[in-house]
Amino acid sequence: MGSYHEIEMRVVYAQTLSELIERNADVFCLEADLGKADASIPVVSKSHPRNFINCGVQEANMIGVGAGLAREGKIPFCSTFTAFATRRCYDQITISVAYANNNVKIVGTSPGITQGPNGGTHMCFQDLAIMRAMPNMHVYSPADANELRAVMFFMAESKQPTYMQLVRLKMPKLFEDGCLFDPNQAIRLHDGRDVTLVATGFMTSFALDVARRLEKEKITVDLLHYPSVKPFDVKTLVDSAQKTGAVVVVENQNIVGGLGSAVCEVLGEHHPVRAKRLGIPDQFGEVADQDYLFNKHGFGPEHIAQACRELSRSKSQQL
Amino acid sequence: MTREELDSLAAEFRYVVTDAICRSGVGHIGGVMSLVEIVITLYYRIMKVKPDDPNWPERDRLVLSKGHAGPVVYTTLAYKGFFPKEWLTTINKNGTRLPSHMDQILTPGVEITAGSLGQGLSCACGLALAAKRDGKTHRVFCIIGDGESDEGQIWEAALFAAHNRLDNLIVICDYNKMQIDGRTDEIIDLEPLVDKWRAFGWATSEMDGHDWDAIYDTIQRADAVTGQPAMIIAHTVKGKGNRETEGLVDCHNVKIPDETTYQRLMCGLECKFDLPY
Repeated sequence: MGSYHEIEMRVVYAQTLSELIERNADVFCLEADLGKADASIPVVSKSHPRNFINCGVQEANMIGVGAGLAREGKIPFCSTFTAFATRRCYDQITISVAYANNNVKIVGTSPGITQGPNGGTHMCFQDLAIMRAMPNMHVYSPADANELRAVMFFMAESKQPTYMQLVRLKMPKLFEDGCLFDPNQAIRLHDGRDVTLVATGFMTSFALDVARRLEKEKITVDLLHYPSVKPFDVKTLVDSAQKTGAVVVVENQNIVGGLGSAVCEVLGEHHPVRAKRLGIPDQFGEVADQDYLFNKHGFGPEHIAQACRELSRSKSQQL
Repeated sequence: MTREELDSLAAEFRYVVTDAICRSGVGHIGGVMSLVEIVITLYYRIMKVKPDDPNWPERDRLVLSKGHAGPVVYTTLAYKGFFPKEWLTTINKNGTRLPSHMDQILTPGVEITAGSLGQGLSCACGLALAAKRDGKTHRVFCIIGDGESDEGQIWEAALFAAHNRLDNLIVICDYNKMQIDGRTDEIIDLEPLVDKWRAFGWATSEMDGHDWDAIYDTIQRADAVTGQPAMIIAHTVKGKGNRETEGLVDCHNVKIPDETTYQRLMCGLECKFDLPY
């Protein structure tokens, strides 16, 4: 078998779900007419028809059916585009899943700008924000195929209602096969002293490229990857901020409410330093490609690098 | 149980549940009273349950999707022995395990949390589907409201249950023909309701939701259906059994601010009983 990084993340998702079902017949795959887009059709539907349920275009009902299955001890993974997996059925998730503490796994595919050609109606920039504001809910965003697998193995074992972002595209390799996931532990991908850079999910590989590039400019970046936005590893961020004195955070989301807000909440309460949030500046999406949206909203690699330069410089000026 | 025993139990439940709701000062009396005979029939004549083992795997499940009628189920669960009857005095009070709307975490015997309307039926589909996929033979009952039937999610679940041939799912619609703001035919007309459910692929029947034999026989026939889910449209009277509430739109959520209101409500009931707590 080749590396998981040679195939699309959605196929890794579907293959891993099949693997989980083979290990535990209580794992179920629920779709809302996007099974082909998520690759669970045919990967899961053919190999495990007993554990595959296509609800049709019924996101609200899918969440309720998932809650009922979970009440009977099943472990349903309910998947659809992020917009429909979260904001469309937010009350169903709030009451039938989180409030009732039913062990449902919700998977939002094509987060943020990775929705691309489907445009503004489908680009959801607020799922991290609204899902982390929900009691009882964990919120994860894996950054590569191996981490996706680790997160899914964890989800299948835990009793925790969970939301996971799933980038459907191929993603650059960051982690080794067999890596472990701990929702309480951020991961330092690059060691530095000049500025802390925080990222999650889709943006982490871009952030790592920036951190490596800035070495040539003698700016050392402390890059922290947060596969779990909630629970949020406070200590790693505070330790890093104490070391660097400045924090840049980048996310494939609205800068209001998501990872950037989580970072600023922690810094404000534990160790106030200057922070810069990069992402979508409180606007809706549109039909456009990645580079266009990175440039329009200012959160591509160049913008990340520039923010790191500015914050490390302003810090030295303060000194 | 004889008809006389059932009548007496229903009258006692109405007396006790009215007193229990009054103790908190406000409650959904109308939709509670319309369900008394149906819930008694389910728990005393039809459903297999073990009060000392609420999660007994082979039990029949009841989902009260119109979660605001929780107190009628709480009263039944208390009398069946799922928890002490004294708990009924805590309904809707600080720290209670019997909140106004059904809560699967707090209350022994409650299968599914419900209160945000439309969601319980989807959850009931999940319970029924799990039983099907596991080859289990227990049944899943679900009670929905008529006002609740305005919700789009009810009709999503209707499509889903029929498509998946959930013949272990028996749903009862408490059709008292009133919702919070008025009569259902004035707010959002559901008619022709029976035709709608039939068109959605459900084995649909009607019954008088206060007639013991009709309730029992109709549920038994629904249980015998194979290959499709069953819907029973129960014609009921909101606020049934209390002269102060029966058939009144405004009995959906009744405020009991003082002793005078309490006495008026208790005197409106058919019989007096000793309170069990």
